[in-house]
Amino acid sequence: MAKSTSQAPLGIAPPIGVEAARKSLQREGAREKLLGIGTIILFVLIWAAIYASKILPGWAFPSPWQVIVAFNEIVTNGTLLKNTLASIERQFTGVILAAVVGVPVGLLLGANSTARAALLPICRLLYPIPGIAWIPLAILWFGVGFTSTVFVIFFSGIWYVIFNTMAGVQTLPAQHLDVARVYMTPRWLFARRILIPGALPFIITGLRLSYGVGWRVIIGAEMISSIVGLGFLIDDARWQLRPDIMVCGMITIALIGWVSETLFFDWVERLTVERWGMKTN
Amino acid sequence: MVKVEHLGKRYTTPDMDVEALSDINLDIGEGEFVSLLGPSGCGKSTLLRIVAGLIPATSGRIAVDGKVVSGPGPERAVVFQDYALFPWMTVRENVEFGLESRAVPRPERRAKSTELLSVIGLTDFADRYPHHLSGGMKQRVSIARALAVDPSLLLMDEPFGALDAQTRRTLQNELLRIWSAYRKTVIFVTHSIEEAIYLSDRIVVMTARPGRIKAIIEVRKKRPRDMATTEMNEVQREVQGVLEDELVHTSDVHADEITAH
Ligand SMILES: Nc1ncnc2c1ncn2[C@@H]1O[C@H](COP(=O)(O)OP(=O)(O)OP(=O)(O)O)[C@@H](O)[C@H]1O
Ligand SMILES: [Mg+2]
Repeated sequence: MAKSTSQAPLGIAPPIGVEAARKSLQREGAREKLLGIGTIILFVLIWAAIYASKILPGWAFPSPWQVIVAFNEIVTNGTLLKNTLASIERQFTGVILAAVVGVPVGLLLGANSTARAALLPICRLLYPIPGIAWIPLAILWFGVGFTSTVFVIFFSGIWYVIFNTMAGVQTLPAQHLDVARVYMTPRWLFARRILIPGALPFIITGLRLSYGVGWRVIIGAEMISSIVGLGFLIDDARWQLRPDIMVCGMITIALIGWVSETLFFDWVERLTVERWGMKTN
Repeated sequence: MVKVEHLGKRYTTPDMDVEALSDINLDIGEGEFVSLLGPSGCGKSTLLRIVAGLIPATSGRIAVDGKVVSGPGPERAVVFQDYALFPWMTVRENVEFGLESRAVPRPERRAKSTELLSVIGLTDFADRYPHHLSGGMKQRVSIARALAVDPSLLLMDEPFGALDAQTRRTLQNELLRIWSAYRKTVIFVTHSIEEAIYLSDRIVVMTARPGRIKAIIEVRKKRPRDMATTEMNEVQREVQGVLEDELVHTSDVHADEITAH
């Protein structure tokens, strides 16, 4: 097919329209990128202007340049890497646990009305409790450190996995279920081959949300109950009166969140639901 | 092969009560190709789903191969109108799904799917996903999936309803070829008179609300059938006559319903 277009016989016009449309799409994309970057630059400029105006005292409000210098400092002395790795480890542990528990529970809730009747009320009741509210209890149970932070991430994120997985199962087209019944598909195969892939667009959304919430609560948790991690880095900078380091920690969180969100989850989607034509965008 | 006795079906929901089928009696022989023909809403799909074991009857009974139907069974397979392929499985995986459900070992599954993919002419598409296929190709895959489990009874609910005329005729011919090669009993739901006549040994014409059997018309002509002959035209007129009667009756029912509400 592609070959025949490039070797189009005389008299047949080359597909100028298609080419032009593609070019204009590319131009549109470049324009959008520029707009996005422009706004970020504007943000930094406003930030610098506020610093220069001295509305906020210099010891509490760092300039962009000071933040860059501070970045250099904590990268060189290794504190950034150490604290970032600690946070990432907790974050991954918490989110993976939320997935390992949340997906099966969500599948069960979606597929079985008895389970739904029994478990949905308590899930709905626990869900609105902010993750941070669990921190004091978590410290009492697990002490300060890794376990209590992971617990809080897990408990904040699991609800998104459960509710989304459940919705994914419930919105599965009835015809898929009919086919499984016609061929008398055994239960485990049904879960593995139909429920999970069928609900995957929703499961991925649930994991995305749980991941995002995890990053939000981890910092709070580490401020209160940890001696390492990005939350600790930020909180510790308060005692040293180093607002520049606080901002470094915040920027690091933003970058990690953005990279993992766009790279990792988008990659998973490209590999699965987009390849299967299940995601319309 | 299939014995339907005094079958009735009533759908009961909190806000309504529909009598979909009433006193259906039908005998289908081994290897026979039978069409269910009737106006929309007359209960064709309902009857097919009951035979498939997907929904229970309200009264009466169905036996397949002498066994009373109480749920799906290995001797029956269904081809749905909207293909019902799994988008996350490749063409080959879809074809093998029934076998996988029956825990058939992988090499055997592969051999079977390879054979069927070549029968339906989709060997080159084995590793594609369904959303890359045209409607006709999807329905071929769906038919291959049903054939893979080697059912003695093939249930088809308007399988070609969504296809264009050309593709439809091609698939009808393929279906007949497969049917005579594999010797299946087929129950085929359609609301095209032409399609019913072209394919079937017998046409079961149904009435609407509640669905009953109005007439059973036998088509003796041997295949392939030339639809342009006077003989075929006569059959067409006969079926049309029975059905038109029914359509008039259906619109009466609708008028009644509207005034009643
Ligand atoms: N799940 C259901 N609940 C309630 N009523 C139903 C249900 N399924 C079908 N019906 C009703 O039963 C009657 C028969 O439906 P059925 O789908 O069997 O008709 P059909 O002959 O297959 O129609 P079509 O040609 O449009 O597919 C219709 O009046 C329909 O509204
Ligand atoms: Mg129908």
